[in-house]
Amino acid sequence: MSLTTPLRQVLGLGSAKSGVHHWWMQRLTSVALVPLTLWFVVSLVTLPGFDHATISAWMSQGLTAPLLVLLVLTMTWHSRLGVQVVIEDYVHTSGARTVSLVLVGFAHVFMAAAGVFAILKVALGRGA
Amino acid sequence: MAEFRLPANSRIVKGITHAAPAGARELRQVRIYRFTPDSGENPRVDTFGLDLASCGPMVLDALIQLKATVDSSLTFRRSCREGICGSCAMNINGVNRLACTTSMKELSGDIKIYPLPHMPVVKDLVPDLTNFYAQYAAVKPWLRTRTPAPPDRERLQSKEEQERIDRPAACILCACCSTACPSYWWNSDRFLGPAALLAAYRWIIDSRDEATGERLDELEDPFRLYRCHTIMNCTDVCPKDLNPARAIAEIKKMMVERQI
Ligand code: SF4
Ligand code: SF4
Ligand code: FES
Repeated sequence: MSLTTPLRQVLGLGSAKSGVHHWWMQRLTSVALVPLTLWFVVSLVTLPGFDHATISAWMSQGLTAPLLVLLVLTMTWHSRLGVQVVIEDYVHTSGARTVSLVLVGFAHVFMAAAGVFAILKVALGRGA
Repeated sequence: MAEFRLPANSRIVKGITHAAPAGARELRQVRIYRFTPDSGENPRVDTFGLDLASCGPMVLDALIQLKATVDSSLTFRRSCREGICGSCAMNINGVNRLACTTSMKELSGDIKIYPLPHMPVVKDLVPDLTNFYAQYAAVKPWLRTRTPAPPDRERLQSKEEQERIDRPAACILCACCSTACPSYWWNSDRFLGPAALLAAYRWIIDSRDEATGERLDELEDPFRLYRCHTIMNCTDVCPKDLNPARAIAEIKKMMVERQI
């Protein structure tokens, strides 16, 4: 039982004075993903084949590698922001919420690192 | 975790059927949610046969008639019976609306009446709105200024300035919107909900108010404001045709505007 006033419960620990950055980045990353994804799909469709030689030749030419890195970073960032919202919506015990937010954060950073590493390896590996 | 099934003592069981009065000319079945927490019994849905020919046209007329003639323990809130007090909000045929402005002719099939969704029930169709009202109070819904009021007259506002707050100020706090919002269902302990946010917006855009920044500060929170995912249920159901979803979007825009 609690004898606190309803207003005290609503006010809780006060405003976090954050959230606008998250919201804005979610919009920016989704806007950025439109041209990046389009470029990616068009590039794949116009490739002559999907064998290792063709792909690595494509990846080491011109701006392919930096654009791929951008695509991977934007995608993982956008996904992290989105999954965070789902967790905040549905996981209500504060311990479980903290743990899952941290784990999801780590997992996304790992995915980003692995993706970038893979791109660089193929893109740079060819000349060596 | 979010719960997707009602707790055992909230599951609805079969209720009582009250036959229509003898000689009914225009028969309509009305199915009403009944619950008395003190009784220890589960909620049930009672069925009432109603003669539309001898009853007023609105759902509230039916409730009043059934309470007067069939079961005096039937409990609901009402006052103005003309859509201005906000008391009689309930879920009628799956949609949150005011019983007093909902015509039974508009509804197809049996008339099904439940309390506003996802709220603690005090009795029958009466939800506990304590938290909802506290959220309204939390946004400080009054004029906050630093400039002292002119000694000889009221604080002036141009016609256009008044028109901006005209609609948002018409909210009757019926709670149809907040209780239709899935985000509010899952997180009403921390998400302020569309009604309170519309009230906050009404004061943020009031040309006489001087606490705009403080008001935005108090809303800038992942839960208080940003639990709104623009699902738009709030705007769909508002019986006063207000647009809380747009108000919330405007607040989010202002949050960005003051950053860049
Ligand atoms: S915005 Fe509309 S639905 Fe929401 S409380 Fe006000 S009048 Fe009711
Ligand atoms: S627009 Fe926002 S406040 Fe309105 S129903 Fe959707 S999530 Fe709820
Ligand atoms: S009785 Fe006042 S709004 Fe319905």
